[in-house]
Amino acid sequence: MNNLRQRIALPIWLATVLITLGLFVIISGQARASVPDQETENYCLSCHGNPDAKMVLPSGEEVSLYISADDLQHSTHSQLGIECEACHTEIKTYPHPEISYQNRQELSQAYALACKKCHSAIYEKAQDSIHAQVAVENPEAPLCTDCHGAHDVQKPDEPRSRVSTTCSQCHSEIYGDYQSSVHGSALINEDNPDVPVCTDCHGVHNIQDPRTDQFRVDTPELCAGCHADAGLMAKYDLPADVYDLYALSWHGVDVSVYKARWPTIWHDSAVCTDCHGIHDILNTDDPQSSVNPANLLATCQNCHPEAGPNWTAAWTGHHEISLDRTPILFYVQTFYASLVQVVLWGAGIYVGLEIIRAIVNRIRRNLR
Amino acid sequence: MSDKPPATPDPVIRSERIFKRFSLGQRWEHWILFLSSLILLLTGLPQKYRTAGWSQQILSTPERLEFIQAIHHITAIVLIVLALYHLGWAIILMIRRKLSDDILVHIQDIRDFGQMLAYLLFMRKKTPAFGKYNFEQKITYWFVFFGTGIMILSGLILLFPIAITHVLPGSVVPAAKLMHSTEAVVAAIFILIWHFFQVHIKRLNLSMFTGKLNEEDMRTYHALEYERLTGEETDQTGDGNS
Repeated sequence: MNNLRQRIALPIWLATVLITLGLFVIISGQARASVPDQETENYCLSCHGNPDAKMVLPSGEEVSLYISADDLQHSTHSQLGIECEACHTEIKTYPHPEISYQNRQELSQAYALACKKCHSAIYEKAQDSIHAQVAVENPEAPLCTDCHGAHDVQKPDEPRSRVSTTCSQCHSEIYGDYQSSVHGSALINEDNPDVPVCTDCHGVHNIQDPRTDQFRVDTPELCAGCHADAGLMAKYDLPADVYDLYALSWHGVDVSVYKARWPTIWHDSAVCTDCHGIHDILNTDDPQSSVNPANLLATCQNCHPEAGPNWTAAWTGHHEISLDRTPILFYVQTFYASLVQVVLWGAGIYVGLEIIRAIVNRIRRNLR
Repeated sequence: MSDKPPATPDPVIRSERIFKRFSLGQRWEHWILFLSSLILLLTGLPQKYRTAGWSQQILSTPERLEFIQAIHHITAIVLIVLALYHLGWAIILMIRRKLSDDILVHIQDIRDFGQMLAYLLFMRKKTPAFGKYNFEQKITYWFVFFGTGIMILSGLILLFPIAITHVLPGSVVPAAKLMHSTEAVVAAIFILIWHFFQVHIKRLNLSMFTGKLNEEDMRTYHALEYERLTGEETDQTGDGNS
């Protein structure tokens, strides 16, 4: 009996120990996965939670080292369990290693690279942007954190108007125009989900210079993205054929040829924004609108300075030919629609009959 | 007019009279009209179809577009001068009471048209007897006359739209664009079907270039004119050779 007890005691003991250890590992592992414990966050905040924490860079610029615990804990990164050292890779513990940045720009640029670690595709796109191009000379050009924030990173388009206010931090004058435009006011006052915010027209990370020839000839298609969408336009009782009719107009044909063949040659034929305005586009019924009938001639005269008051009727607008709106054009079109039929069918049938008669005559002569 | 037949006709030698049909001035007018219209058509079509690939092959740079427009405008000036000359000459002849009414449209032309249609539909054995110009030729003349007028007027509106709209309503500009563009193509196709068939396929009629018409063609196709010029009866035409 003793022998048996002694023989099984060791395996039972070993099994008990192994099962207990195994359970411990599994339970603790599950605990880690479900709740980010953010151990370092609180550790770092024990110093950086002090509103007076700051340092002076060799350039003399003062950098605040204070991080709001509230901002940090509500940031998108923190809630996903991404900890301080994910971005601050060189800082492992206290005391920190010596900093090597001479000024604030160097510091910001170094931390932009931290974003690339995870968001590499977006980072590459941003390198093609006008912002990245001017950053070479201009220390004010925005880097990732200037738009997205650093410790308080949030979803950039919630609410949608957040996009426009972000851009307004630098482009305040344009934001002023946009704010009172038909698009901007609907966004800001009504939180309209359909009107364009800055990035809808300018792009998100690869924002291009909108003053180029290429951007100019691409403008009609850009506006057509919404204004040729029948479903969307019906919602606001706007016509959706404005782009198609523009494309048939003198201006539109001209611009389409430049777009297809010579996009890098500047051309003055009017695109949407030349008449309607850019950031300050207003409803055509608005008395301030550049294309309101009261202001239309002055708008035409921007390019056609000699034009007289009859000139505006030469632009048939974004309207089909109709008896009510353009009677002269309507009668000319109707006349030619019938003339073409009469002339071509008449000549064709008459000549056809002559050919038949000539062939019959020839056959008859030969049979005689 | 016509060469006088020899006093004693030789039975072996057959003399053929040649009739003068068009003056040198008229032949020059035709040449200028033909060449200027052709150049205007060739330089106009790529502008009309600017969005088409073939047009963009020709107008491959903005400079080429300007060049082709310059040719178009210069040729148009030639055509305008021609039209003014033609009208001016007609007015001078009218004042001198020498303007022939041969080319004007008469009731007889409508009758001729009906009879010709009956002939073509096998309801008549012979074609009608025509004068100096038959109704087919009159249709050609008046079609080109009004077509050229429309092209010149609408072309001038397109060339000076801003000046024109100080006088005329603005919608004449898009109307002129529509007219200029449509009339050109209709006229080109019409001339190709109608005129080319009549002067090249039905019979080769080069009188507009030589200025002359031989006796047989005169008897066959312009019987009334032949009778008027020679005082001789024709046994009337329309043996079905028309």
